[in-house]
Amino acid sequence: MFQLRGVLAPFRALERAIAPSTLRVASYSTSILSSRPVLNSAITNPSSSSSTTLTRSNTTRLLPPTTTSLLNNLLTQQQIRHASHASQGTANRHSRDPAGKRLGAKRSAGEYVVPGCIIFKQRGTKWFPGENCGMGRDHTIYSMQSGYVRYYLDPERHPDRKFIGVVFEKDGKLPTPRNAPTRRRLGRVAVRFDPADLPVNQKQTDLVAEVTAEGTTVGDVPAVDAEAGLRFRPGYMYREANWQIGRAAEKAGITALPHRRKNRWLAWRKRTAKAERVAQMKSLKGSKKAAKKAKK
Amino acid sequence: MAHCERASKPLLQCLQKTYTKGLPGLQLQSTRAFQSTALAREEAQTETGSQPFYKAPDPATVSNPRLERKLLRQGVAPIGSRRRRVALQDSLNIPFEQLPYQCFQEARKILVADREEKLRDITSMREKISRLEGLSTEQAGGEQVKKSKLRAMELHLEHLKIQADINDPLVKKKFEDGLGDMSKPIYRFLADRKWREYRRKILVQRITQMKVIPDVIPHCEPTLDTKLYFGRRQIQPGEFVDSKLSTEAPKLNVQMFEAGEKLVTIAVVDPDVPNVETDGFDFKMHYLAVNVPISAVNTKVDLSQLSTESQVVFPWAPPVAQKGSPYHRLAMIIFEQKESKALDFAAVKAKETARENLLARALESRYQLKPIGAHLFRTQWDDSMYEVMKSIGYADAEIELRRAPAERLPYKRRNPANMR
Repeated sequence: MFQLRGVLAPFRALERAIAPSTLRVASYSTSILSSRPVLNSAITNPSSSSSTTLTRSNTTRLLPPTTTSLLNNLLTQQQIRHASHASQGTANRHSRDPAGKRLGAKRSAGEYVVPGCIIFKQRGTKWFPGENCGMGRDHTIYSMQSGYVRYYLDPERHPDRKFIGVVFEKDGKLPTPRNAPTRRRLGRVAVRFDPADLPVNQKQTDLVAEVTAEGTTVGDVPAVDAEAGLRFRPGYMYREANWQIGRAAEKAGITALPHRRKNRWLAWRKRTAKAERVAQMKSLKGSKKAAKKAKK
Repeated sequence: MAHCERASKPLLQCLQKTYTKGLPGLQLQSTRAFQSTALAREEAQTETGSQPFYKAPDPATVSNPRLERKLLRQGVAPIGSRRRRVALQDSLNIPFEQLPYQCFQEARKILVADREEKLRDITSMREKISRLEGLSTEQAGGEQVKKSKLRAMELHLEHLKIQADINDPLVKKKFEDGLGDMSKPIYRFLADRKWREYRRKILVQRITQMKVIPDVIPHCEPTLDTKLYFGRRQIQPGEFVDSKLSTEAPKLNVQMFEAGEKLVTIAVVDPDVPNVETDGFDFKMHYLAVNVPISAVNTKVDLSQLSTESQVVFPWAPPVAQKGSPYHRLAMIIFEQKESKALDFAAVKAKETARENLLARALESRYQLKPIGAHLFRTQWDDSMYEVMKSIGYADAEIELRRAPAERLPYKRRNPANMR
């Protein structure tokens, strides 16, 4: 088979040499089909190679004279644009030739980067974010740790993706072996804090609204311990904080019945009671008016 | 109503009566054609018919939420879905053998015949195995050949055992009701298949996405279904657990899908202990127990109940996460001990002295362990964490971790000539 292909190669070259004019292609392709068995026989019998070239010349000669004349006409009538015309420029050139978008690598391999440093700008994902790198919403690759840039392939992760990563050491290597523990940085500092500031111990502040000529202002008064007793509060009175008042029912253990949507019996009773009340109010209203009218 | 149904109704009613009232001899004969063990329904023949349903609801047919709750309070879980139970209430409860559908019965006959054939295959395969075992190594064609032949035959025997029962509708029903006997290969096979369909996928995804796999152990192919409980709450893999909840050691439900008993080592590792000096993370072993026996039927392991003299190397240390630290992963790895041999507890205890920076990888190579099960939960700073830290005497409870100020790129002087 390989031998056969080797012998065919020169014929292929010959075919290509004959191919260039478009008009010939149609008839030529049919000639290939017809000449295939002949070619094969030629291979089995190397002495008769000249006979195949003969058939080739026969097929070219077979082209009808009318088609060749048509071809000549086409070649002569081709439009020509001289330099003076071209120098005028084209319409809408700027819409077709926009400004460059300054894409490409902003940091090359081995350069030092800090978190947030843009490494590569691209359209689509030519490169993917690897170790310690992130991808922005326009597919920009940026670093998430300080370190040194690496451009690499990771066939275990993806067979044909290219990755950009950041390593911590100057001579670090990527990709890391698949089963090696990941190398991470803590990136924190230890600070002592006051346990009294924890939300459990935090005192509750009180929101106060004040209506003045300019409008309503809402602010909060400094937090105080609820256990300390009544305090002097806005409104010139000693009283509990608003949030304490709000929790009075909870403290007293009063619970409202939970609303049940499916309890249509209760809903009906409430509805009829309301309707009765409204009817009563209406009748009272009417009677008041009537009384007023009567007085007048 | 279709004609056939109308025609068959009296017959069905008659059958139902005979079934419920009981013709014991006839029933036994008919229902045991397919299975060797007795049905649960048969065993509970003497039901008290006088009691109303709401006083003693049947877990198989209860559909009222109130009665379901009542059952649950008694500690009996209703069987299957509510839809299924409602369907069972209306069904005539005719056993498969007496269903008056000719095509169905013909199909059943084929299944029964197939099972008979499989049983014959099993007996013949057993005979073959015993014959091969009786042969000397020279007669069998060498030790390696004999070994591989025996192995293949045993595998085939297991396959046949599963194939004999896999088409049995009653086996399927029993498994779906959760009544499958895990000592039998068919139920183990079904349970394993069910686990691999969903729960194992979730587990593997969690332990790989949260990087337990390269961080704690290099490789793990879980073959155990592991469930983790803190108190009565089941923790899904990777879930955040409240610090107060995790002060007590968890309970495990380790389901093995192979026959026999195994001795395992259970380790709980935290690979995220912050270390400010090295600007990195340390490891801490929160729990280590060796020689824990598990099997397909003995699944419950209570980490706090294991023996301190012969099993627990490090008792449970409540996981803590400092304020502001990234979340801690608590990876629980179940290692299979080599050839299910017990480790020398005293030697292990003498060797492993410090919890800090004791790596699971080191244990794996030191004691020739193989990870066969994993679970994972996470811990972070929460409202009760400070109290937990105080109660266990954690030294750095008042330390908060704050983000280090952002680094700036070193100043690079631009070359003015170049800029022009």
